[in-house]
Amino acid sequence: MLSISYDSTFDGFLSVIFEIYRQHLDAGEIRPDRSTAPCNLFMQPFRVETSEESAQRLKRAIVNQASAEILDLLRVVLCSEEDGVEMKILAYLRKVFDGNDPHYAKNPTSDEMLPLYMIARAVRREEGGMLGMLRFDRTADGTYFAEIEPKYNILGMMVPHFRGRFANERWAIYDSKRGFGVYYNGQDPSQGPVEITIPDLQQVKAAAPKDDFVKLWQDYYQSIAIKERENPRLLRSCLPVRYWKHLPERQIAPSWS
Amino acid sequence: MACMDVREKLNILSAAAKYDVSCSSSGSGRQAPKGGLGSACSAGICHTWSSDGRCISLLKVLMSNACKYDCAYCINRRSNDIPRATFTPKELINLTLEFYRRNYIEGLFLSSAVVGSPDRTMEMLVQVARELRTVHKFGGYIHLKAIPGASRELLYQAGLYADRSSVNIEIPTDRALQYLAPEKNHASILAPMNFLAERKLEYHGECSRYTPKFLPAGQSTQMIVGAAGETDLQILTLSNGFYKQQQMKRVYFSGYVPLNADKRLPALTTKPPLAREHRLYQADWLMRFYKFGYDEVVDPAHPNLDLELDPKAAWALRHPEFFPIDIQTADYEMLLRVPGIGVKSAQLIASGRRFSKIRLEQLKKMGVVLKRAQYFIYHPDTPASLRRLYPEMVRPLLLPKPKSLQLDLFADQPLALPVAS
Repeated sequence: MLSISYDSTFDGFLSVIFEIYRQHLDAGEIRPDRSTAPCNLFMQPFRVETSEESAQRLKRAIVNQASAEILDLLRVVLCSEEDGVEMKILAYLRKVFDGNDPHYAKNPTSDEMLPLYMIARAVRREEGGMLGMLRFDRTADGTYFAEIEPKYNILGMMVPHFRGRFANERWAIYDSKRGFGVYYNGQDPSQGPVEITIPDLQQVKAAAPKDDFVKLWQDYYQSIAIKERENPRLLRSCLPVRYWKHLPERQIAPSWS
Repeated sequence: MACMDVREKLNILSAAAKYDVSCSSSGSGRQAPKGGLGSACSAGICHTWSSDGRCISLLKVLMSNACKYDCAYCINRRSNDIPRATFTPKELINLTLEFYRRNYIEGLFLSSAVVGSPDRTMEMLVQVARELRTVHKFGGYIHLKAIPGASRELLYQAGLYADRSSVNIEIPTDRALQYLAPEKNHASILAPMNFLAERKLEYHGECSRYTPKFLPAGQSTQMIVGAAGETDLQILTLSNGFYKQQQMKRVYFSGYVPLNADKRLPALTTKPPLAREHRLYQADWLMRFYKFGYDEVVDPAHPNLDLELDPKAAWALRHPEFFPIDIQTADYEMLLRVPGIGVKSAQLIASGRRFSKIRLEQLKKMGVVLKRAQYFIYHPDTPASLRRLYPEMVRPLLLPKPKSLQLDLFADQPLALPVAS
């Protein structure tokens, strides 16, 4: 039994699957590098380096045997970063490739697919929500900066939306839970968003000037609520408390409570 | 008044707009204009939720609250002594763009009290939308109120710049409306609705890539519930008409919150009918997504919705002859009608059952609420004797459990224990 490690990217993961098939590896677990879980002492460590070529070949195979939607779904599922999700995807792909049931890949309710489908739904749900719940702060040089701490690794999925919407603005989104972000330079549309890391986030945040529009937004948030209809339970189910930290409008208590 | 700053105006004019329920930003997909700011997402995006649990996706404000009308149910009526304010177009446009850049909002919801004449009011609203679209190349969502009595030319222009437009019918019966709002009647409200609906149809007919879009997200309207003694049957009949004839995208319900002391209206101490409003929304959902007819949800024998039980379960219990159903073979439309099965689970069942039998544990994993659905479906293991639905037995099982009573040991009053019946 092998404990196979890879670089946490989707292409890296596909390279692992490719090598498992090519070398007939006996995979016991597949560990992304970011994993902090203790190593399994009874498994032999094994490293697979990312190869774009093998990833491409496997992608083509998945599109042929299943569909482009399935490939997309697997990418989303991997973004969930849930423990053991790699082995679940492997189990699914084995069934797709063994060819016993030609219609297997079309069945969304199979024992292997249904859990993946539900994970993808949760990840896409958070991504959709975060498109709205992300807040930009205007920094001194006019760049709009947002900090997020999502449960799933959704930053990459969110970038096209903001790139289209704020094509002429300079903006950066930083996932402080995972320690990386993207920066987009609105001046030159030919240049896409680039990945960045920020060594000292606190310093960046402290340097931001006071912004009157934050206050106006907080005021608006207070005055748009109807006191007679207050419903804290509904609020928390729509807007879970874990997101409040980065929402300026939730930083002040409602005036009537 | 002249020296009132933007912050004060924002507070007054957003508080004045809060009784408008609609805040949706859906129905219109658009990429950012070249060199411009902002796009529209056809599914709509919620940006936050206020402490009453309502989604906030647009900057919802009035242009002005200095109204010349005196409608009994409205906070902004002429006879109320409240601070009045009016935005200048520049202030409002600046606010919209700055909020938008910080990703606070999807766009602007602009309404207004009637100032001077309907035409003058509509002209102000159109001016803001026009400048946002043409001068600032704003691609975000714009919802404009159509002011009853405004000229066709202005309404037409509103349709060119806005994604959605709405006129609120407010009171479901014409007589009650004229009684509560002497300056209004149903005909004057339906006129702009019909005009916009017809214009949109014309545009749809000659649709090409180059045709400018006319109200891409359609129209919506709103009714106040519980102010004029109307039944749910009347409300749902009217909203069904709006969906069918005016091609409305949404009809909103607003449980009446007593604002004004007025002998024509419920007393100020009345609680807003939130439970009833919730049931109406559930019924509306059944009509829009679950293929129910409005006359199935309510009928002359049951003109009001059951407040204890959701309308889907209530319908199922009124029709035991259809249940339980076999999930392997039942029509998709029937799957949708099972309490505890939603649109997504119904789709999963329909596409999965072609390949293998659907088992109970799979249903659970799909998110089907078996606690409710179990009485309405059967599967191969169910004995034949249980393949019948007994409404009188199932109904108590579907009701929410009464909250357990916590005894207060230190109360001055003697304990009042519930008597077992």
